[in-house]
Amino acid sequence: MRCFNCGCELTRNDFCTNCGADIQEYRRIVRLSNQYYNDGLMKARVRDLSGAVVSLRASLKLNRTNIDARNLLGLVYFEMGEAVAAFSEWVVSKNIKPDKNIADDFIEDVQSNPSRLSGINQSIKKYNQALDYARQGSLDLAVIQLKKVLQVNPNLIVAYELLGLLYLQSQEFNKARRILTQASKIDRNNTRILNYLREAEEGIRIRNNAEGRGDDAGPVTVGGDAITYRSGNETIIQPVNTVERKGGSSILNIIIGALIGCALMFFLVLPARINKASEQMNAQLKQVSDELTSKNADLEEQTKRIEALQAENDTVRAQIDNLTGSSGMVERYDYLASAALNYMRNPQDVVGTESLLKNITASAVSGNSMITDNVTGLDPGIYSEAFRNLYNYLNGDVASKAASSYIVQGKEALSRGEYTAAIADLRRAVEIDPANDEAWYYLAESYKESGDSVNATQIYSRIVNEMPDSQYAERSRNSLTNGAATDNTAETAQTQQNDNAMVAVDNEAALAEALALQQAAAGAAAQGEAPQ
Amino acid sequence: MIDFDEELRKFHPSKELEDAENAIRALDMTDVVDLIVALEEKSKYQQQ
Repeated sequence: MRCFNCGCELTRNDFCTNCGADIQEYRRIVRLSNQYYNDGLMKARVRDLSGAVVSLRASLKLNRTNIDARNLLGLVYFEMGEAVAAFSEWVVSKNIKPDKNIADDFIEDVQSNPSRLSGINQSIKKYNQALDYARQGSLDLAVIQLKKVLQVNPNLIVAYELLGLLYLQSQEFNKARRILTQASKIDRNNTRILNYLREAEEGIRIRNNAEGRGDDAGPVTVGGDAITYRSGNETIIQPVNTVERKGGSSILNIIIGALIGCALMFFLVLPARINKASEQMNAQLKQVSDELTSKNADLEEQTKRIEALQAENDTVRAQIDNLTGSSGMVERYDYLASAALNYMRNPQDVVGTESLLKNITASAVSGNSMITDNVTGLDPGIYSEAFRNLYNYLNGDVASKAASSYIVQGKEALSRGEYTAAIADLRRAVEIDPANDEAWYYLAESYKESGDSVNATQIYSRIVNEMPDSQYAERSRNSLTNGAATDNTAETAQTQQNDNAMVAVDNEAALAEALALQQAAAGAAAQGEAPQ
Repeated sequence: MIDFDEELRKFHPSKELEDAENAIRALDMTDVVDLIVALEEKSKYQQQ
């Protein structure tokens, strides 16, 4: 307890130890206020709301700082549908005691449901409107409005009171009694309600007397073992007939009850359990499926990664092979060094040096091609500049010499009738020096003498067409006209004879046909068809 | 019998939420303690 004068905490003394104020009377007042609060609390517990309001107001009149009384008064107002009055009390309570005040919870609880609060406010507005209607004499409108009010705010006691009054005024005593009875369930000891209810009962009684019959002739209430109803002015209580059950039927009932229980178990409990187990199984299945999907995704990712690593490994391995394999760069450097060493030790051994250089890169000359670009060119992207310079120097010096040496060897072999050796040497010569017309010519001669008139004819044709200024062009043309062409014509004629074995061909016709084929071959050569 | 008009006059419009602030301001917060304090002050003033 605090001093009313200075607010200091009071002791057992009859005066304030801080300001010296006499607090004897103050203690009595506070005690009396608490007694009124207790009285209000007791009335509120038995739903004597109007009585509780009177006691709590008296408590607050004695001591306005009685927080419990003020909060309870707000609660009672709210229960009676008077939301604004309730809010007012709670707000004042919170002002007096800001901390640890249950009014906070009340306010928060109401404000947390705005729709409910709005509904209460609308019901209050409609009540005020109904009151206006009643004062203006529009009782029907007022009744309609009050019915709406009670649908939204079924605890608004004043609405019950006004509606009951309107029913009394319109002589609708039964309705008045019903509505006032409902109100009395909310506020049991409301003086006005009890007064109106008494008036309604009186009106009903008078009317019943006038009509000579009971208004409530039917059963009114059904108790545990009795029915109560009124007949005129008398209240009749009639016991309910009951049949005493025998022992055998009780056992039968127990059995029936057990069967019903089993049936309930079978039809209600068991399906629920089964559904629950099924849901659990489905949940587990879904979880396993999710995990499987995740694992599959991981596996696929790992597979792709392995493939990428494999490809990278192949690339690296190819690069390593390119560097260290039989055709790798190390090997090529070895060949170049060997060629350079051989060139320095034995400059006359151009064939040996050229053979070593040949190993470095495959000859750009293949078949019977005579015009080839970059014969000794090396890819700058693969070979270093020093490598290429040394290679070009050696190759430029020994290539022509080696080609000449091969040509001499080939011609000697040709003269000896060793056509295979001659062809090999001369092919090597044209590979080294594809522009050497002499090598090509004697290669064709070697083919011709070895009986390979096809290759011979092709090379002669190439010389004629691609090296027309060469001294061997005319000789090649003559060979085409005479030697190789004749042999070729003979072969062609023989082929014709084999194909047309049943037809006799004379020598003149075969010769004419051979000449025609020779011209066709020369024409095809003129179109620059590449030799194979 | 009750007098309808007399009874109707006893009913007053209920306070709406929009009037809550005014309702709070209009609350009579005077209690008996205030009266005692006022009486004591008045008594002291008269003694002086």
